[in-house]
Amino acid sequence: MTVLRTLLASLAILVAGIAVLAFSTDGFRAYTTETARRIDVRTHPRPVPPLVLQAADGTRTSFAALRGRWLLVDFIYTRCTTYCSVQGGEFANLQRWLAGPIAAGKVTLVSVSFDPRDEPAQLAGYQRRFGDSGTGWVAVRAVASADRAVLMRVFGVTAVADGLGGFVHNAAINVVNPDGKLVAILDWDDPRAAARYITRRLTP
Amino acid sequence: MASLTMYPEEERLQGADRVAFNLYIISAVVLFVLMMLIGVAMRMTQANWYGVPPALFYQLLSMHGAGMVGSMVLATTAVMWFFLRKYVRLHLWALVTNYVLFMLGALCLIVSIFGGGYAALWTFLYPLPTHGVGMWSPHAAALFMLGYLLIGVGELIFYLDAAAGIIKVYGNLGRALGLHWLFGGTIDQNHPKTVVASTSMIIANSLGILAGAVVLVMSLINIFYPQVVLDALFTKTLIYWFGHMYINAAIYMGVIAIYELLSRYSGRPYPLTRVFLWAWAATTLFVIIVFPHHLMMDYAEPHWFLLMGQTVSWASGFPVVVVTAYGALTNIYRANMRWSMPSKLLVLSLFGWVAGGFAAVLDSTIRINLVMHNTQWVPGHFHFYLLLGALAMALALMYHVIGSRAHAPPNSSADRLGFPVYVGGALIFLFAFLDAGHLSVPRRMYPHLEAWLPTDAIGSVGGILVLLAMIYFAIRITVGLLKTPSPAAAGGLGDRAADAAG
Amino acid sequence: MTLQMLVQIPLLGVAGWLLAQGTPARLRRVLAAWNHRGVSGLVLASLTGLVWMLPRAMDAAVDVPLVTLAKFLSVPLLLGAAIALSWPRMGFVVRGVFLVELIATCFRMGWLYLVSPVRLCSNYLLDDQQRLGKYLVGIGGAVVLILAWKLMWGRIDTGRTERKDPPIGPR
Repeated sequence: MTVLRTLLASLAILVAGIAVLAFSTDGFRAYTTETARRIDVRTHPRPVPPLVLQAADGTRTSFAALRGRWLLVDFIYTRCTTYCSVQGGEFANLQRWLAGPIAAGKVTLVSVSFDPRDEPAQLAGYQRRFGDSGTGWVAVRAVASADRAVLMRVFGVTAVADGLGGFVHNAAINVVNPDGKLVAILDWDDPRAAARYITRRLTP
Repeated sequence: MASLTMYPEEERLQGADRVAFNLYIISAVVLFVLMMLIGVAMRMTQANWYGVPPALFYQLLSMHGAGMVGSMVLATTAVMWFFLRKYVRLHLWALVTNYVLFMLGALCLIVSIFGGGYAALWTFLYPLPTHGVGMWSPHAAALFMLGYLLIGVGELIFYLDAAAGIIKVYGNLGRALGLHWLFGGTIDQNHPKTVVASTSMIIANSLGILAGAVVLVMSLINIFYPQVVLDALFTKTLIYWFGHMYINAAIYMGVIAIYELLSRYSGRPYPLTRVFLWAWAATTLFVIIVFPHHLMMDYAEPHWFLLMGQTVSWASGFPVVVVTAYGALTNIYRANMRWSMPSKLLVLSLFGWVAGGFAAVLDSTIRINLVMHNTQWVPGHFHFYLLLGALAMALALMYHVIGSRAHAPPNSSADRLGFPVYVGGALIFLFAFLDAGHLSVPRRMYPHLEAWLPTDAIGSVGGILVLLAMIYFAIRITVGLLKTPSPAAAGGLGDRAADAAG
Repeated sequence: MTLQMLVQIPLLGVAGWLLAQGTPARLRRVLAAWNHRGVSGLVLASLTGLVWMLPRAMDAAVDVPLVTLAKFLSVPLLLGAAIALSWPRMGFVVRGVFLVELIATCFRMGWLYLVSPVRLCSNYLLDDQQRLGKYLVGIGGAVVLILAWKLMWGRIDTGRTERKDPPIGPR
């Protein structure tokens, strides 16, 4: 009898356990938080909140003001001296590759700093350092500190202090559509793929 | 000391035990015939006598390699179980679970190879399984690895049950190996050699299965998440550690048949000596550390590692030749030997093991390996001690058991024909391989160049003879096992506990 | 990451184990009636362990309070206590399979953390992941050596302490 009960119990536990695992991994697709957020954004595009941002030249703008065009958004901190500093160079490249759509007002690149120490001056220096051509790329920071946390949560950005005065963060190239929804998160080290993603979706 | 009674009551198979043993043995001999058929097909293809397409050749080779190793372990597991259960309590559920998992695993292998087209050989060498070049999908490779996992877990369960039984009687595995007698003390002559050999392989092969469990799962992870890149050399090292111990366990489990049966046919006791215990203690260690001899041409391995492979390979010869072979020969020298199928097979197995062993030791010498590596010398040497060594040991037990039904060792005229056909065919088959090795014919390869065809042809002839003999053996043994024991076997022993060993 | 996996979670497991020592006899009997040879307890503990091995789960346990609570409840109860109540009922073979899988998992995870080019958990640093990998391999190796020593030269109980399966209901 006990054998039968055990078999039943084990089967029930197995089914329940597999269900929990399936749920926890979005159907065995996402084992890491990173994969999970990418799948989630793809299947359920998130509206980006129209928070007030301050640009490198000191002026105010917001994600609401940036609607009506495709946005490539990345999260940075200007003090980065490790590999994430490559992000700046990538956006400078994207500026050149997407110069046409940018000039036509269809695409804008947005670098958002999550470091509270970054002021407009640092943002400007960051862009200058990487060869900003002057159009189509804004470096911004959230004005209210609470807004910074909201932005990071919406985009799924985590930043961990690396013990050397910097951060380790899940860098990526985020795509926001003209309706102001976050629709894709792409690999940070493949800017060409991001460019292709945009150009395929631009209406001629 | 092993009993001199030809068919002791404690060994009688009845009821569920008998069914389980029959399942193991009949499955094994059927698998041997099928795998030999595949083997002969390959040799004939190489000889340009009968062609299979190149892609199929490598699938056949994958099936043959994995299938033969698995079947050999299946058969010798039955050998170990048959004798060990007299001394310790073994649970039938463990034996049956192993069988079920083995069959499930074998099914996975067959589907992956013939359904999925997997052709990356038994070694599933990283990263080959993920590069099917359109011939097989990553899922087929994954199924193959799953098959291995199932087979390994099954064998582990059998070993754990055996370990439990041994520890219950002898206290711990060290005492079961007789380690406490190595440096002195009076050796208990009733301490079974079977327990010594079984314990040795439980230790070694459990470690091998652990290594396999790790590398198989990591390979699976790599299949589904290619960003997780494994160190190819380390992975290869683990794969060969796992495979090496698995096939060695087959032989060392098979040799239990010699220890138990030989003295019954020679009529002379086969005492337990200190040298014997030293040999097995050494073997246990050597089997675990000798595997670098598979990696001699991987120059990136540490030097000490490869040197250890060569040194320990040479050293491994001593327990085999000096203790078992020489010891067994002294047992039968000038004894009133009852020559029948079991005893002929037992003595043959000694020759096969030693001869194959010499070829192996040669190839384990780095200087020689430089020339012989990946030539047909390699299949030459391992087919030697598998065909004429391990398989002969298993066949000896099988014949012995069918003899117990008739209460007389089998030696029919058909047997007396089958034996030389088997041995003769095997020798032709084997020397064809060894000669091909000396001619530098590469192994694991098809199609063959013109110059290699003669040895392929000779090998095919030998292979066909072996296959014919094996078909005969398979039928003979299956029929013999399924026959009900003669009434004489049950006479006068009714009130003795039916299974003294559980 | 190292702290969470090698200190916090094991401590939670031990807490559950200690808790189980105080299980009233009646509850013990009821559970045992559904736990022949400790199998269902083992399945439960294994699946719970699997869930908390997911990098996502580790991240969520830090970010989402509900998940933190789930961890603090499930690890002691469904893992620690389950093992504590099941181990005495397990035979040698079941214990052996459990331990071999435990060792193999340590080696596999250690290897994975050492070679993974990406951070599996967003909340932890890469060098933390690598250090954890090294420790896991070390732990796996240590368990192998300890077990081997016990099996070769030590004393191992091969029987089950609580051999009989009790019936449910009044004695």
